[in-house]
Amino acid sequence: MAVGISVKKVDFTYKTDEGEDTSVKALNGISLEVETGSYCAVLGPNGSGKSTLAKVIDVLEFPDNGTVAVLGYEGKNDEDCYKIRERCAYVFQNPDNQIVGTIVEEDVAFGPENLGVPLPELRQRVDEALKYVGLYELRDRQAASLSGGQKQKLAIAGALAMRPKLLILDESTAMLDPISRDEFLDLVEQMRTDKGITVLTITHDMNEAARCEKIFVVEYGQVTMSGTPSEIFSHPEKIIKAGLELPPDISLVNEMSKATGNKITEEDIKDQRSRINTAIRFAKNASEAPAMNLPEERKKGRKILEISDLSHSYDSGKTFALEHINLDVYEGEILAIVGKSGCGKTTLISPLNGIIRPQSGDVRLLLESGEVLSTTRKKDIKGIRQKVGLVFQYPEYQLFEETVEKDIAYGLIKMNTPGVNREGRVKAAALLSGLTEDILTRSPFELSGGQKRRAALAGVLVMKPQILVLDEPAAGLDPLGRKEMFETILALRETGTTIILVSHNMDEAARYADRIFCISRGREAACGKPSELFENEGKAKSYGLSLPLLYKFSSQVKEALSKDYPGIDVLPPYPDAQNEAASIIRSAMKC
Amino acid sequence: MLSDISLGRYVETGSILHKTDPRIKVILYIVYLVSIFVVNSPAALLTLFALTALQLVTAKIPFKVTLSTLKPILPLTLFIFILNMFTLKQGQMLWSWRFLTVTDYGIERAILMSLRIVFLILSTSVLLTLTTTPLKISDALESLMSPLKVIHVPVHEMSMMMSIALRFIPTLIEETDKIMKAQVSRGADYDTGSFINRIKGYVTVLIPLFVSSFKRAEDLAVAMDARCYRGGEGRTKLNPLKITGRDIAVLIAFLAGAGALIAVEVFYGK
Repeated sequence: MAVGISVKKVDFTYKTDEGEDTSVKALNGISLEVETGSYCAVLGPNGSGKSTLAKVIDVLEFPDNGTVAVLGYEGKNDEDCYKIRERCAYVFQNPDNQIVGTIVEEDVAFGPENLGVPLPELRQRVDEALKYVGLYELRDRQAASLSGGQKQKLAIAGALAMRPKLLILDESTAMLDPISRDEFLDLVEQMRTDKGITVLTITHDMNEAARCEKIFVVEYGQVTMSGTPSEIFSHPEKIIKAGLELPPDISLVNEMSKATGNKITEEDIKDQRSRINTAIRFAKNASEAPAMNLPEERKKGRKILEISDLSHSYDSGKTFALEHINLDVYEGEILAIVGKSGCGKTTLISPLNGIIRPQSGDVRLLLESGEVLSTTRKKDIKGIRQKVGLVFQYPEYQLFEETVEKDIAYGLIKMNTPGVNREGRVKAAALLSGLTEDILTRSPFELSGGQKRRAALAGVLVMKPQILVLDEPAAGLDPLGRKEMFETILALRETGTTIILVSHNMDEAARYADRIFCISRGREAACGKPSELFENEGKAKSYGLSLPLLYKFSSQVKEALSKDYPGIDVLPPYPDAQNEAASIIRSAMKC
Repeated sequence: MLSDISLGRYVETGSILHKTDPRIKVILYIVYLVSIFVVNSPAALLTLFALTALQLVTAKIPFKVTLSTLKPILPLTLFIFILNMFTLKQGQMLWSWRFLTVTDYGIERAILMSLRIVFLILSTSVLLTLTTTPLKISDALESLMSPLKVIHVPVHEMSMMMSIALRFIPTLIEETDKIMKAQVSRGADYDTGSFINRIKGYVTVLIPLFVSSFKRAEDLAVAMDARCYRGGEGRTKLNPLKITGRDIAVLIAFLAGAGALIAVEVFYGK
């Protein structure tokens, strides 16, 4: 096969105005080769140089040293650069920041217009691309009115209309919900088969990486591992050391191997079938029952928040975002609100602290003293806002003060609570949210993405809310960042804070939440413990939920096991790979 | 919070005016703008009223929409009416109190001035904002101003900037709304307190909005580079503007209307 992309010993440094010391070396002698027609993934923690690599390939940045050749062109002069850019389409992370045209079809036309494609071919290309991604019916709509998933498809259509040979996806699925993400990836794979396009995807989603033919792991601006997904994922220690994680199914196989003292080989996890077989083999060969590491059953706290008959509509009553929602929240629990994009999740959390006053129904906060605050009473709103903290999606974009300390203190000053040791509260909130004290005096705009998010979280925690509502707290973070964010949330719960979190990641909802509330089209679809809702696929589907990937795989393993051991107990799944692995092995050993 | 802000309130009714080439509409708009300020006599005002009503009907603009376009300028119209009525001292005095005088001439001017404002808004709406998308207006301006390229006016770049600005208005409104909600939930209050405090309150909204706009601008520039943007040279257009027979017919009909208006003014005017 011909070489599509060849990167040889490339260095790249982001230069700042302040001289050598502050400049950041993003690429450090990186080399890699991608064959034409292949589907490759680039993995790596935040700040490892992945995006810079992609930009160097598309000659959006020029390397300091080394050579880059794409489809035989080296970006040495202007003409070659445009030849590369013409053949190499790029889809970025943030859907909003790459749409140029006001109207859907105008945006698709932007690329070919730049290439000087004449009419009627231009019209034909645009219509073809829009039909291919399934947006043809929406061609006259305003691009800004599309959903996130549709916007990314629009970006793909814009790329397709340029008839590219190579497609670079720079965390293109990071801001999408699981269903839009699957649709997007299916579309990409279909394009690959139909048009033979080479795809290079940069991602934090291990499951997406497992769909590829080849994976490059990038750390400190270098490729530290490369190989097929089974080669890469058969070295779990290295993967975890690189700040990455295993896809849920391989993670279960890995836990089973650890529990039984077996070793995983590349062959063991080659494909879905062999992963199931390996899991069964491990379960059958087990000699001693592995220990379970179960968290203590938590006592149900008192009722702290009561949502009764809450309805909300937009466009003066034409479209219902919420219909007759009833939900009780108990002190000290973690409640996850799940559902498809646009099902009303965000609309449900906004009235919880009175940001939106309920149109009908009520949200009542029950204080320990027996006092009840209601969002329908104007005089109670201030009290509710102090006790219910709300952290929106991507809160890092909302920082504004000169120093982190001032930013965190903003709420305290605004709420004007007398007799509070402001400095102490700010410090405590910063530590709780996982920041260190030295960051307090710095400008929030100098921080890394993860630190900014923590600073924004601290700005809400400083009010010592009894209930903390989080909208997608881990969205857009790398695997390590996600894990740390949830550890912070668990630690917060230990301090007695009740947590309500919106998530579209079922694996995380099942893993960390005590209860899950599922909305579908503005109505309650289900509410209960994760183990109940996700007991089996049929049940989950009846609530409109997709099963966590771990559960999906483990139920396949259990089903295959029950063929060999007809009398086996099929236990409800555990939300983490370690306990689930132990549970499967134990039930196999009983037979 | 900001949902009631709607810019360039385009209303799709599929009328002939909606389909007319935007350049024609821009030219007609200028013609009517001048005509409105030429009109003085009651007879001509009546003609103008008839013409405007006819235009609204042609554009199939619902009466409710017409009223809602006029509503925001009502205070301004009233202000101009009162100012003219009480301050003009020429003509027959009808009423006077201290420094306030009302004359017949003053009333006449007051009515004329406030009606001009009303017609101005109606013309702008029916010829431009209600019937033409902002993008088309920007296209029309690019095309009409293209002769200026000869004297090195960056017409394409200006039009590109305008259309990108239009494209990002809904995005920025959404973002402002998000930031305000986040700050309200942290105890911010934009509606009470002294004037200075309210202004200060908005500063905390503007800073993150600016920071993210710069980030967006940077991202967008890279995205445009990646899609081979290299200026206006050699670019083609998906929907090029084309003048058809129908456009010419609209132009002639509307020019005839304006001609009639001027004729009435000349004939009946003082």
